[in-house]
Amino acid sequence: MSDHAAAAPTSTGIDHKKLIMWLFLASDCMFFGTLISTHLLYRKLYPTGFTDAEGHERFIQNLFDIELTSFSTFILLMSSFLMALAVSAMHKGQVASFRRNVLGVIAFGLVFLGCQVYEFTHFWQKGLTIQNSVFGSTFYVLTGTHGTHVAIGVLWLILLYFYSFTGRLRGHGGALDVEVAGLYWHFVDIVWIIIFTVVYLVEYLGPNGIWGAGLPLS
Amino acid sequence: MSAHAASPAADRALLAEETRRYHHFITLALWLAVITGVEIVAIFLPLAPWVLLLGLGVLSVVKFFAVVLWFMHLIYDARLLLWLFVAGLALACATFTALVALFSFDRVDTLWFG
Amino acid sequence: MAHAAHHAPVADKTELPPERSDIGLLRPDRTTGLLDWLTTVDHKKIGILYGAFAMLFFLLGGVEALAIRTQLAAPENAFISARTYNQMFTMHGTTMIFLGVMPLSAAFFNFLVPLQIGARDVAFPRLNAFSLWTFVFGALALNASWVFEVGHLAGWFRDFAWYQSLTYTDFAPANGWFSYAPLSGTFGQADAALHAPRFTGVGTDFWIIGIQILGVASLAASFNFIVTILNMRAPGMTMMRLPVFTWMTLVTAFLIIFAFPAITVALIQLMFDRTFGANFFNPTNGGQPILWQHLFWIFGHPEVYILVLPAMGIVSEILPTFSKKPLFGYPIIVFSGAVIGFLGFAVWSHHMFTTGLGPIPTAAFSLLTMAIAVPTGVKIFNWIGTIWGGRVRFTPPMVLSLGFIWMFMLGGFSGIMHSAAPADAQQQDTYFVVAHFHYVLVGGVLLGLMAGLYFWFPKIFGRMPNATVAYVASGLVIFGFNMAFGPMHYLGLAGQPRRTHTYQAGYGWEDWNLVATIGAFVLGIGVFLAFANLAWTAFRGRRCESDPWDARTLEWSLPSPVPAYNFAQTPVVATRDAWFAHKHGGPKVGALDDGGPAGVHMPSQSWMPLLASAGFLIVGLAVPMMAMGIPHAGWAVVSGLGVLFLGIWLWALEGPGGYQLVTPAATPSPAPAPAEAAR
Repeated sequence: MSDHAAAAPTSTGIDHKKLIMWLFLASDCMFFGTLISTHLLYRKLYPTGFTDAEGHERFIQNLFDIELTSFSTFILLMSSFLMALAVSAMHKGQVASFRRNVLGVIAFGLVFLGCQVYEFTHFWQKGLTIQNSVFGSTFYVLTGTHGTHVAIGVLWLILLYFYSFTGRLRGHGGALDVEVAGLYWHFVDIVWIIIFTVVYLVEYLGPNGIWGAGLPLS
Repeated sequence: MSAHAASPAADRALLAEETRRYHHFITLALWLAVITGVEIVAIFLPLAPWVLLLGLGVLSVVKFFAVVLWFMHLIYDARLLLWLFVAGLALACATFTALVALFSFDRVDTLWFG
Repeated sequence: MAHAAHHAPVADKTELPPERSDIGLLRPDRTTGLLDWLTTVDHKKIGILYGAFAMLFFLLGGVEALAIRTQLAAPENAFISARTYNQMFTMHGTTMIFLGVMPLSAAFFNFLVPLQIGARDVAFPRLNAFSLWTFVFGALALNASWVFEVGHLAGWFRDFAWYQSLTYTDFAPANGWFSYAPLSGTFGQADAALHAPRFTGVGTDFWIIGIQILGVASLAASFNFIVTILNMRAPGMTMMRLPVFTWMTLVTAFLIIFAFPAITVALIQLMFDRTFGANFFNPTNGGQPILWQHLFWIFGHPEVYILVLPAMGIVSEILPTFSKKPLFGYPIIVFSGAVIGFLGFAVWSHHMFTTGLGPIPTAAFSLLTMAIAVPTGVKIFNWIGTIWGGRVRFTPPMVLSLGFIWMFMLGGFSGIMHSAAPADAQQQDTYFVVAHFHYVLVGGVLLGLMAGLYFWFPKIFGRMPNATVAYVASGLVIFGFNMAFGPMHYLGLAGQPRRTHTYQAGYGWEDWNLVATIGAFVLGIGVFLAFANLAWTAFRGRRCESDPWDARTLEWSLPSPVPAYNFAQTPVVATRDAWFAHKHGGPKVGALDDGGPAGVHMPSQSWMPLLASAGFLIVGLAVPMMAMGIPHAGWAVVSGLGVLFLGIWLWALEGPGGYQLVTPAATPSPAPAPAEAAR
């Protein structure tokens, strides 16, 4: 390390901004770990879903709409792909290509958020509220926190898109700013990869779900 | 402040590298789409839940690390960043596995010792 | 990335021409006095502010402690009501931990870390200012609960509709520093306004939002310090040449970034329970209050090491200096610190032995807890090894450091006692536990931090604290502390429960409680005397030379007080304890060919961190007011968030700025070529 110290602007050769973003993401693993484990341990504890306002017991498999969630998952994965292209474009100094790709990311991010808004209203109409069950509390707070992360990412990328016209993104510093925003965006994506599997997909294992409800679907 | 590689040869090498990555990204995006498709189909197959659970677990871990390593450049970047992230990830996995286990095995004594 | 300076280098920032930022506002670079302190991005000034605020809150927490001890001085005492008593012990714990010890440690991080690694500032100077002000405003928001409590007691709110409709009127937090659910949470079904019935009043809401804001401050500061330590080391300053204090700062910062997210999420969940009728900890709807305990201690146990590791780092600097020997077993000390930090994440359930975890988890957490004694013991032996055979000078910092080792060890012994679950089952919630953690946190952390204050004060202000007063104060602190907390071991084993407003005569607790109370007042006088001595020194103390202790690390190579640019030339380090080696025939500290008349780059000052943090003050006041049902408080929350985002946005827009500051030219005498320093 010390060999580089005199030549490189930083002791590790890693830019400050990139390092702090990776530290934030490492810390955010604990953040989402807490949320996801809260959801899972309650899911394990209460396998039967929730009771709606009319007193009917509802089952999660009937609530979820796996086609919609798969679509929004796919959208988020592809937004990550476009983000990688946007970062790559900035490294090559191709600002026009950056703009195209980042607009794609923003659009996909908005589609994802739209799906989430639709999902929340849909679930709410089916009787799942944050107040009527532990499942409602953990589900809405977990996916809502993720959605907030997505929304912050969208705002950030919109700012970067406008900055690309004002000259603030020129040179190495600009490429770095885009890369750091990209790291954040990809992280939001990988958190969703986990949520998609442990919150949504596992509900479909076996006719009564992985949580072993052992109760008939209604 | 930072010294840039200014020579045309270095620029060309940089461009070639970025182009190589560009192709990696496209390949990876296709694979991610395929894996997600497999996951969605798999949950409707009449397989034993534990097989599916294992399969889904492996697939999502593959997706997770594919994005971390390629899209987030960790495979190209300084090793320190990988260690920092893995430290947070491992700590989170260990802590919360323990937490979920503490809640899940209520009768741990009778389960294990009759 | 640093912007080219727009102006010629200047010798002093007040000579700068007025300069506008990228958003057209005048940069506050040339300010002096109060405006300078409010907009500063200088890590040294930020460190001093952290220290000043921390010491003020420390005294406040001390007054709260004395109220507790006065109440307990005699059986069936009625000095304060039971409710006030609950508020006192809650705010005492919260204040000491989050507003006293952590910011005082942060004061040392700020002031020392860049100097010890040979840097001119931290990696993100404006983020550093943001951390400071967020801490200050979070602390003010939390303590604003006292204003409401006083208003309630004085009857100020009697005519207001929102006040008349309150179910509970406890305005200051009263749940203990851990705020266990379900007491802090809700029960029953939520009504149409999304409110479930609660057990407590808005004091809990003040606590939740206050801790949340303080967490933001700690997280931001920790990210900043990790980047600074990893990235801004002077040439030759390899990781294994870092001063131990810097190492412990690094470990502490990692603990913070990995431990705080758990409490952040737990606080969000508790807030959702209280504000929107969620069920995370609401037993009526299947919530498990014990989950709060788990999440709290996943944060809370690493927090213990967050408090103690900086003090260990401080002592590891002081002992070698006054023993005139290098630190014994430097790599082992560093490694032990890291191991303590790592194990700190694996023992949280030892706070919950009596909750019925089952034999396997209990045994596992018991064993892991005992394992922490190993690296801790290793450190203590290394400290003893450092003093062994040294030429010991009993200066005030050294006396306090020796006190630290002894008292901390005693706290460690009682800690090992309740790492055994069966013993802990007897000691849980008794004064024995109070004795244990006060031996660790007062006998350990407070003595360590006071030692650090007396050690580095001459560097910070260029003035030497009065030694006689310091000795008297140290004596009073150590004596009073043992008199206050020693008897609590006995009281606890004799069955006196914690957090109990009063007790009846006849249990044999009366005499020792009175002794403890007298001891607490002696301790209080000692701490006050020690702080007063420091405050007087800062303004009027006797001036002293730059290296009065013949110390070992780079900060002592600089003039006192340290100039704004820190190092006139970036130092080049060739060995551990570089400055001591430099002075005493070892490898010289070299210098890069920077600075001089061309100047060094200084970051511009800014209003934006203060503005963004002010948003947190508004949020911190408005969220509990919303819980009180004060009309339009919800809009105040929104506007607070608006101020926060506006501050951050303008911060991003204004650009980093910067100017060049002339430094003295390199002195030609003992400056070898940087090449000599390599490896």
